[in-house]
Amino acid sequence: MTTMPDRLSDGGAAARAAEEHPVVLATHGLTKSFNGVVAVDHLDLAVQRGDVFGFLGPNGAGKTTTIRMILGLIYPTSGHVEVLDHRVPQDKREALRHIGGFVEVPAFYGNMSARRNLRLMGRLNDVKDEKRIEEVLDTVGLLERADSKVGDYSHGMKQRLGIANALLHRPELIILDEPTSGLDPQGMKDVRELIRALGTGGTTVFLSSHLLHEIEQVCNRAMIINKGRVVVEGPVADLRPASSAVKVLTSDQERARGVIAALVGPQAVASDEGYLVVEGSDGAVREIVRRLVAEGLGVDAVIPAREQGLEDYFLGLTQSSDVGTHPEVAREKGGAQ
Amino acid sequence: MKLLRGEITKLLFQKRTYVGWVGLLAIPILIVVALDLSSPSSRGGDGGPGGFFILASHNGLLVPLAAIGALTTFLLPLLAAMAGSFQLAGEAETGTIKTWLVHPVSRGGVLVSKWLVAVLYLLAGLALVAASGYLVGVAVFGAHAPALLSGGTVSVAHGLWLTLLAYLFVAAGMVCVLSLAMLFSTLTSSSLTAAIGTLVIFIVMQVLGSFSYFDFLKPYLFTSHLDAWQNLFQGTIDWGPLEKGLLAFFAYIVVSTVAAWYVFRRKDVLV
Repeated sequence: MTTMPDRLSDGGAAARAAEEHPVVLATHGLTKSFNGVVAVDHLDLAVQRGDVFGFLGPNGAGKTTTIRMILGLIYPTSGHVEVLDHRVPQDKREALRHIGGFVEVPAFYGNMSARRNLRLMGRLNDVKDEKRIEEVLDTVGLLERADSKVGDYSHGMKQRLGIANALLHRPELIILDEPTSGLDPQGMKDVRELIRALGTGGTTVFLSSHLLHEIEQVCNRAMIINKGRVVVEGPVADLRPASSAVKVLTSDQERARGVIAALVGPQAVASDEGYLVVEGSDGAVREIVRRLVAEGLGVDAVIPAREQGLEDYFLGLTQSSDVGTHPEVAREKGGAQ
Repeated sequence: MKLLRGEITKLLFQKRTYVGWVGLLAIPILIVVALDLSSPSSRGGDGGPGGFFILASHNGLLVPLAAIGALTTFLLPLLAAMAGSFQLAGEAETGTIKTWLVHPVSRGGVLVSKWLVAVLYLLAGLALVAASGYLVGVAVFGAHAPALLSGGTVSVAHGLWLTLLAYLFVAAGMVCVLSLAMLFSTLTSSSLTAAIGTLVIFIVMQVLGSFSYFDFLKPYLFTSHLDAWQNLFQGTIDWGPLEKGLLAFFAYIVVSTVAAWYVFRRKDVLV
């Protein structure tokens, strides 16, 4: 990961900057509607320096529209974006100096080589150092194909080139829109490792994805949005409620159910494929096993219950987000129609 | 400057850039070949570009003038329309406009650099027409003191100077086409739609200009001024039509470019 030392070497300045700008990216009441259809709805978010911030939501949730507004490609209907001290869209040019990234599939000039494309884009950020171009191409594993025309690149290679271009001028904020889409498993792993390394190196990363497990692997904080609104936000570890259920298999399940029910209450015991599933068994597992043995039952297995499916949990969150509409939002929606 | 340099790089990496230039190089050569092979009696026509065709067959120095006379009817407007439309709409088609715009650039700067590079493309194309016209024309017909449409001759140096003015005048007319194409290019994300829209307007103007019923419109159609450079080759130059032409060109260029800027400045880039 050749990108790390750049940031670490200037620790003093980075620390000073961190004090001045703890929030690198923020949106305030960010709203965008297209012909009366609200795509992003009063979105407030704040990304702190050094965060690897997951921006999660199903397709069509408004992730890409939000990113387009952050990058100044489209103009908010109301609200604004703040990148460090610069407002977007008013101060877009200054803001973009501190940002690297892409939205949807990164597009490059197909008649030119990857190297030539990076030279072209780099100049817009005053990057003229050929070594730096080599460095980022190496970081994303494209050095060997650096002189092939981008037109001949696969989807995954274009994705990598997009990341290389985002890193090129060592921006403080990197915005990646589903960067692992179209990559093979090894490519996904590489990109996730790279993002983690960027975060460790102090770069702030804003990562959009529709894959919950991806966000769990690389992000420290995350926000789930659906239909343009925030569903839940916080540290990744808190996003998903921990499951403390266990599955129990004994020589006599009927008697065991009675014994366990007496300990934790009958409503906490269910059966599943021959096992007894005990909910809320925190700390009670030892006691349950002791009692079962004391009652003369043979305990064959006590295993943690399968955690609630991540995707099920995600679906549950995004489907139930219709409730709890902010009255102001409801009024605006009504007015727009 | 950064932006302009980038746009020039992009232009030089496009195959269609060279296709247009090759076409422009070829036209004067075709004219010379055709004039040389045809019998003197069949070289009909008087006045207009036709007049230059007759004169050019005796003097290689006039071939470039015969060439732009022929080119302003279609190939030059076509290339100008394409140069204007590929700039923004073409990049919208490939999606590269969003990659370009997420760098610290201003929309106005991007628009101006794209307009400038399209103008440079046209000027380079016209220079190629002149160069190939002089080269082949002089080789086949020789170089003599240029004859004027009204009869009489001027010195070679003065002839070259008048030719340069004629080329600049035609260039200004083509920048009109290009600026219109640029405006359409901000309104659609299909470069073909923008180019065709521009050509439709160009042709409709030409049609309107060819009916005497619409004579009252003529001063306002830039197409009816495109041949005004021929006034440079009369015995005494009548600057009136040239001035009116430049004024019309200027108005079209300013209005289209300002409108393009107004649209592009706040445009949602959704590609």
